[in-house]
Amino acid sequence: MSEDNLDSAMAQVRAASGRRYWRTLDELVDRPEFRRKLRQKFPALFGTAAEFNRRDLLKCLGGTIALAGLDGCEREPDEEALPYVVQPEGMVPGEARLYASAIEMDGVAQPILGETRAARPIKLDGNIEHPACLGGSTPFIQAALLELYDPDRSGAPLFMGRTDDWARFDRTQAELRMRLDASGGKGFRLLTGPVGSPTMLGQIEALLARWPEARWHSWSPIADRRSAMIEQWLGTPAKRVLHLAEAEAVVSFDDDLLGPGPDQLWHANGWGARRRAYQEGQGAALLFGAEPSPTITGVTAGERLAASEPRMGVLLGGLAAELGMGAPVALTGRERAWVQSAGDALQAHAGRSLVSVGAHHAPELHRLALAINQRLDNVGTTERFLQSATTLQPAALAPLVGEMRAGQVAALFVLGANPVYTAPGELNFADAFARVPLRIHAGLHANETGARSHWHLPLAQDLEAWSDGRGSEGTAVISQPLVRPWLAVRSRHRLLADLMDDRRSDLALVQDQWSDELDEAGWEMALLTGRIPDSAPLPIAATPSATAPPLIPPRAGSTLHLSIRPDPSIWDGSYATNPWLQELPKPLTKLTWGNAIHVSPDLALERGLQNGDLVRLSVSGRSVIGPAWVLPGQARDTVLVHLGYGQREGGRVAENLGFDAYPLLGASGEVVIAKLDEEERLATTQHHFEMEEDEYIRFVETASDALPPEPPKAHFYPPLNSKPAWAMAIDLDLCIGCNACVVACVAENNIPMVGKEEVAKGREMHWLRVDRYYEGRPEDPNHAFQPVPCMHCENAPCEMGCPVNAAVHSPDGLNLQVYNRCIGTRTCSSYCPYKVRRFNWFDYTGEDAPEMKAARNPEVTVRSRGVMEKCTYCIQRISKARIEAKKEGRPIRDGEVQTACQSACPTQAIVFGDQSDADTAVSRRKANGRNYDLLPEANTRPRTTYQARIRKGTREA
Amino acid sequence: MTSAAQVTREVVRIPERFPARRAWWMMFSGALLLVGLFFVSLGVLFARGPGVWGNNIPVNWGFPIANYIWWLGIGHAGTMISAMLLLAGQTWRNSLNRFAEAMTLFAAGVAGLYPILHLGRPWRFYWMALYPNTMDMYPQFRSPLSWDFFAILVYLIVSLMFWYIGIMPDLASARDRATKRRWQIFFGLGAMGWRGSAMHWARWRQAYRLTAALALALVPMVTATYALLLAGGPIPGWNSTIYAPYFLVGAIFSGFAIVSILAIGLRHFLNLGDLITLFHLDRLGMLLLVTGLMTAYGYLADAFTAAYSGSHELRTLMDRVSGPYAWSYWGAVLCNFVPLQLLWWRRFRTSPLALGLISLSVAIGMWLERYMLLVTGLYRDWLESSVGYFSATFWDWSLFAGTIGLFMMLFLLFVRFLPVISAFETKEAMDPAND
Repeated sequence: MSEDNLDSAMAQVRAASGRRYWRTLDELVDRPEFRRKLRQKFPALFGTAAEFNRRDLLKCLGGTIALAGLDGCEREPDEEALPYVVQPEGMVPGEARLYASAIEMDGVAQPILGETRAARPIKLDGNIEHPACLGGSTPFIQAALLELYDPDRSGAPLFMGRTDDWARFDRTQAELRMRLDASGGKGFRLLTGPVGSPTMLGQIEALLARWPEARWHSWSPIADRRSAMIEQWLGTPAKRVLHLAEAEAVVSFDDDLLGPGPDQLWHANGWGARRRAYQEGQGAALLFGAEPSPTITGVTAGERLAASEPRMGVLLGGLAAELGMGAPVALTGRERAWVQSAGDALQAHAGRSLVSVGAHHAPELHRLALAINQRLDNVGTTERFLQSATTLQPAALAPLVGEMRAGQVAALFVLGANPVYTAPGELNFADAFARVPLRIHAGLHANETGARSHWHLPLAQDLEAWSDGRGSEGTAVISQPLVRPWLAVRSRHRLLADLMDDRRSDLALVQDQWSDELDEAGWEMALLTGRIPDSAPLPIAATPSATAPPLIPPRAGSTLHLSIRPDPSIWDGSYATNPWLQELPKPLTKLTWGNAIHVSPDLALERGLQNGDLVRLSVSGRSVIGPAWVLPGQARDTVLVHLGYGQREGGRVAENLGFDAYPLLGASGEVVIAKLDEEERLATTQHHFEMEEDEYIRFVETASDALPPEPPKAHFYPPLNSKPAWAMAIDLDLCIGCNACVVACVAENNIPMVGKEEVAKGREMHWLRVDRYYEGRPEDPNHAFQPVPCMHCENAPCEMGCPVNAAVHSPDGLNLQVYNRCIGTRTCSSYCPYKVRRFNWFDYTGEDAPEMKAARNPEVTVRSRGVMEKCTYCIQRISKARIEAKKEGRPIRDGEVQTACQSACPTQAIVFGDQSDADTAVSRRKANGRNYDLLPEANTRPRTTYQARIRKGTREA
Repeated sequence: MTSAAQVTREVVRIPERFPARRAWWMMFSGALLLVGLFFVSLGVLFARGPGVWGNNIPVNWGFPIANYIWWLGIGHAGTMISAMLLLAGQTWRNSLNRFAEAMTLFAAGVAGLYPILHLGRPWRFYWMALYPNTMDMYPQFRSPLSWDFFAILVYLIVSLMFWYIGIMPDLASARDRATKRRWQIFFGLGAMGWRGSAMHWARWRQAYRLTAALALALVPMVTATYALLLAGGPIPGWNSTIYAPYFLVGAIFSGFAIVSILAIGLRHFLNLGDLITLFHLDRLGMLLLVTGLMTAYGYLADAFTAAYSGSHELRTLMDRVSGPYAWSYWGAVLCNFVPLQLLWWRRFRTSPLALGLISLSVAIGMWLERYMLLVTGLYRDWLESSVGYFSATFWDWSLFAGTIGLFMMLFLLFVRFLPVISAFETKEAMDPAND
């Protein structure tokens, strides 16, 4: 209450005729005109303050009771959305419905099939109907489900950090629109992440047409220096698509083709298809990888070379020389051998080979790789360039920051991105941002950018909004909502449309975008199948020949080189709020809930570093402090850090984990590491990686080789003959360690996440883990991945140990765990040679937020405290298939039951079925000479078996 | 030389005119504090779950099972001293057997708590029992745990019977000598109308010897069932037939250590130097030495078997002697066998202080051994990928300390209110006609 208000009130009291009684000063000044004034000055206060009298309260109460009944109605997806499988009239309650849709990762649509039950999405998988998905999925696709149910998601607009309502933002927006209309958009800037949605591009185009002075900027922390080179080369922007399914020899220079990212599914699908073809005798599947630090691609490669980032140019030059395209360069013996065999393979498979350089490398390298590919006739087959669907190109971040600092930006609308957190340290984005007079941020979470904006607007998640996008190979997909939003969120299309006062619905916006291509029937078909046929942009027919540029020689000296990469689990930090991804062990380090400063074994020895030692890493004056992690196979002079951690805002899961590596982004100069006298406890799920003399992972030389036969063993119990006999085969030669199966298992089986402390104690709950082993010298080891679910042993030691019959065998050969019989003696786990059982040490599920409970699969029991659990071979899916088969009076067909891990595997490494029938896929796999049992000496007769890795990618000697 | 009447007076007057009230109260309040800690630990455990301990996957069994085996082992020595020496006619045991039996009872009771507390859902522990139920479920008889459950139950009952039958005549003596009404009623009820008739004595002798034989047979059976707990699974370092005899001698070894400590304590505080004589300490020292050497042989045999079978077994052995838990292995070897060697000399056997310290060292060493067996077996078994480390938490230690308190409390109550030495058997031993 201000002085003059009081004064005027006093004046009124004095002026009033007769007596006026007042109790408090508050009451005295609390008059309508003052309230009006207050509302003008502090509108936020009025959005929240409730003013009720008794009658209003009773009215409200009555209304609440009436509306509570409505809430009982099921929330259906939009009526216009069409289920994937044509259903009989009406919905069968309890039946799952599949919807073809898409989610987006860095502007690339990931085609999905979403399973909904009672109108709740409960499982996502890749949509095999879409050409960019040959089956399987990625951890990001699987985990997108949990993002939808994140209890920390923004659910209402925030104005200056306080909850507000959309109506007020609409007024602000209307004012802004008038201003922009008057000035032609002067000072208005739109900042997004990578945009792939044609509808959104259309909207941005319309926005820029309406307000020509406005600008669109786009920012992604994932460096891409290749696109610009391609644009320069072709004279027009183009989309580069790799067809690994056709590439018999691939040479990757620090390009994690199979690793996490928007194109992972497409590439892994391609590699899997190629490798399977090789196994069956069709051509070769050779992969060469040179990289500073191990990636999924490098460790999958038959021949891997550890080399620092600056060395890549030299190696590429060496390869060019090997192919007769330039002067020879000085290489070490090891490098020369690698370059020679890579060169030989490329030449032997000219036209069906590929050279690729990581997008963060200098344009010259990309140009040279392109020249090599052209020389080998690979362009147009394994490396294709598609016409860009749009000519609209966003501006970069740096000029925007300059304008912001110069005060030229009047209003900045940040749509989806989080630049305050992800902008490179040298730009000092936050400072410049603070100078913008109107800052609007729309995102899933009130993150760092949201907290520094005037308005934070809650954005709809991909699964609750209409949209569209293009898959990795260019085919478009309509993204239909699987569920109606239950929070006050708006889609990105809605936000842009509202800004321009476009009253069309989200659905109409998307439909209008595709009205030329799709008629009504076509639209329905596109929704049913999840693809728009023939919508991929046309390939660029004639490509000018690329000239090999002279390569810049690397700086001499023995300094350290810093590699900054997105995190394998939480990417650039945009998935940091997702517990499924936080607790997902990173493929190579098996670390969870945090990042590390990765050093090579040599460097660790030299600096006296051990896992968990805190280290200060400085580059040109900027430094971060994080725990060290010794990573075998990392180039000697390379230091690797992952982005995405150290977030300060954005939800309970994301905050205060690991360290923020963004300040180092873009920094160049001397890299210095210094050991501090402290330690941090890291949560890793695997402590030992050496195989020693054990043969957990077995190898054969070529695809035609077989393992030596295992001598038959005596058994105390008679063999278990069941029909069907469920069994699983995992081909280690196809497994790339991508972790999609792990997250799929979590989503399917309601597996609880336990948090960093519990993981550090060894209490993670994953039913399926991916073990990683090294073979050979720590500087340059061979890596192997091994997914380990329950082995469903026929002679199961766990069953013998349980005193209360909670671990028993089913007639169809499953090793069952009866939760409600289990009393938690943990004998089964003590006796399990594979240690695949997981125990509920606490009540891990009881206090889940209601949203998280909604994400659960209703077909799978949620386990209580004190019981043991483990992989069931997705028994709920088996039961479902058995019931269907019984109804139709037939046996269960081969392939009818797909376990969650199997359907998530992008390379089809996992096969499941009935091994009592010799004609099933799983029996054929097991008949393969590469089949072996894990730990045959334990004599457990496991139903899960493995197929040995093949060292070579070609049948030629 | 003490007379028969003196013996009775000396033993039976203890509850009524307790000689070391001050010391007793100090120890008893210490014990009560620990019992308080026991209940707090129990509360935390029941409220939150077994996750309050350091257990994890792969170390599913940590402190609770190690402590269970340790406590039960201690218990076995009482049965051995009392029953085996009774049947063997070693009358010198008569000064030791009563409190040794009480020790058995309390240690087995405390031990029996652990497997229940250790469960994920302890309120369902009775599912291990064989009882008619609407679920129509039987225990799973292939499981060592089922047999363990039966074994400890039977052992507890038989130990209680044996102890009670043994104390009955002395309760009658105490009743007859009691001057205060409340003591007369207390001992009278316990004596169950014992009048000391020849018929009573004849029946008593039959019952006592029969129960002794039963209890004696139970000891190797119980050790065998909990040996099977480890040996039943295919875990390298566990999967060995050596465990039953190994646990048997180990159990008696640790038990004799505790008996020695208790004997020395009673002798000191209750001025029973003329009943628990240096001769008894000498014998206890010899027994300790012998069982200790047998246990050491067990270590050697175990190492030999592991080395002989090679592969995973050998690796576990190497891991025990040089891995991250080598401190527990070498700690056990050091505490169990090094000070023990002093007992070759009569001078140390008959020195209460020396024998007490050596016994303490053995008790600690045997605990380390139990810890080592469980943790090194589990933390690294078949797959290198599933290696996981165990470290005990506060609640692990607090529950252990709490059970020590519980044992102490029970034992102190026994010392305070019941005849701690078998007066009539001591007299029997003194009677030349009885030889």
